[in-house]
Amino acid sequence: MVIRARPEVLIPGGFDDGGVPFEEMISRPFKRLGIYLIKANCSGMKGLDRYRDVIPDFDLFVEAIRRPLPVTARINTLKTDRDRLLSRLRGAKVAFTPFIWYPFGLRLTVEKPGNLLESLMGQIHIQEEISMVSPVVLGPKPGERILDLCAAPGSKTTQIAMMMENWGLLVANDPANTRVASLRSNCERAGAVNVVVTRYDGRRFPDRGFDRVLVDAPCTGQGMARKDLKVLDRWSLKRSLGLQRLQRALLRRALQVTRPGGAVVYSTCTFAPEENEGVVSWALGQVRGVRLEDASVRGLAGSPGLAEWEGSRFGDEVERCTRYYPHQNDAGGFFVAKLIKE
Amino acid sequence: MSQSSLKNRSLLQPMDRARVVEIMGSRFGIPPEAFEGVSFSLRGRNVWAFSLPEIPDLAWETVGLRVISVRGRVPKPTTAALQLFGRHATKNVVDLGTEDALKFAAGERQRISAPVEDGYVVVSHGGDVLGCGQYLDGELISLLPKERRIGRAEPEEGRSGRGDL
Repeated sequence: MVIRARPEVLIPGGFDDGGVPFEEMISRPFKRLGIYLIKANCSGMKGLDRYRDVIPDFDLFVEAIRRPLPVTARINTLKTDRDRLLSRLRGAKVAFTPFIWYPFGLRLTVEKPGNLLESLMGQIHIQEEISMVSPVVLGPKPGERILDLCAAPGSKTTQIAMMMENWGLLVANDPANTRVASLRSNCERAGAVNVVVTRYDGRRFPDRGFDRVLVDAPCTGQGMARKDLKVLDRWSLKRSLGLQRLQRALLRRALQVTRPGGAVVYSTCTFAPEENEGVVSWALGQVRGVRLEDASVRGLAGSPGLAEWEGSRFGDEVERCTRYYPHQNDAGGFFVAKLIKE
Repeated sequence: MSQSSLKNRSLLQPMDRARVVEIMGSRFGIPPEAFEGVSFSLRGRNVWAFSLPEIPDLAWETVGLRVISVRGRVPKPTTAALQLFGRHATKNVVDLGTEDALKFAAGERQRISAPVEDGYVVVSHGGDVLGCGQYLDGELISLLPKERRIGRAEPEEGRSGRGDL
């Protein structure tokens, strides 16, 4: 449990800290109380300071970004079942903790999960916890027609294939030749037999009539900072706005190729509202008869989408989107919106 | 990989299901029910399996999973195919202990006495399929694709970071 307290109201020396100098104390957490006494220092974290007023517990957020991501994996039920896999891991003395919110997600205590035999067999897929959210929100069913518009490297594609129980049409699209190689190899490893791989520019994807479409859009990737802090250096407002053009066009096309009554999930792994609410609210105005549905997931802590940002008004409706911050679930950062086409 | 696939795109030919089922049945004893709902196509020298209600009218790269290579004299099942369908195999299966499984995973050859015929075999560990091997004169050769191998043979830097995000 995290006790929310502003750092300035905590009096140094007020706890049994054994006479640790204040300087040292503020650089380490009070483990016993679960309080982190850190004045958020965003040095080396370009582009995060702008979120100081919108991200709850900003100090904890910054502190979480500095920690590496936990190792997590998804059980691939196309190859095994949960009980069988868990007993295999126990036999191999691999420690694991199942996610609270998703029965097929596991946190692993192992340095190189890719070296496990279970990885080789395709029984588990190494995948960041928060990225498992968008297929869950999408909710694909066996027999449906699904489009994954920005599919590579295929973590979410293979999760969708598994949710479809390998039955139905799953089109996995990605324009980049090099990325398609990783997409194909992940589909092979997963044992997906219902996947058609295509290489269209997603903005002009030709087919129509999909039950559900996932747009896991290219983004500035700030939510992946725990994996590699360098993504933050590459951020600029100009880059966010450049990607916004692409993201808007992708989401609009996704809505166009979805059948009436179908659903589109739009997700990114960045915090920039320009690439999130700024894309979703624009698309709502572009395609008629589209509404937002609640994109939160039970058991996973998140924050509502931002109704406004730096003078732009996105509207109250976008509060139905969900923002996931790294400190909320000790995972990556993510944004998810679910759009229903009437 | 993609370039050759582009070249072959137009050459998807429907394949007689019974023939594929016969290949997998006669060598490994995999029952026809294991392939329920799955169709097969021949594309170049490979058999592809897919379970789709339709093949969409799209300029696709691949459709489904590559399951058998018919390049050689004897059809060779892919590791991907055996990992999916091989659990139903009743013969020509070599089940390895952990140490031997790790050798196989690394792509090593090993001398093993197993009650199987020479030729392609399903290699498993604890009843779960690792992939395709070749058994020849008491020796088990690992036919795992190079990029799928793990451990020993190559430095594994960066491998643990697979998967996205």
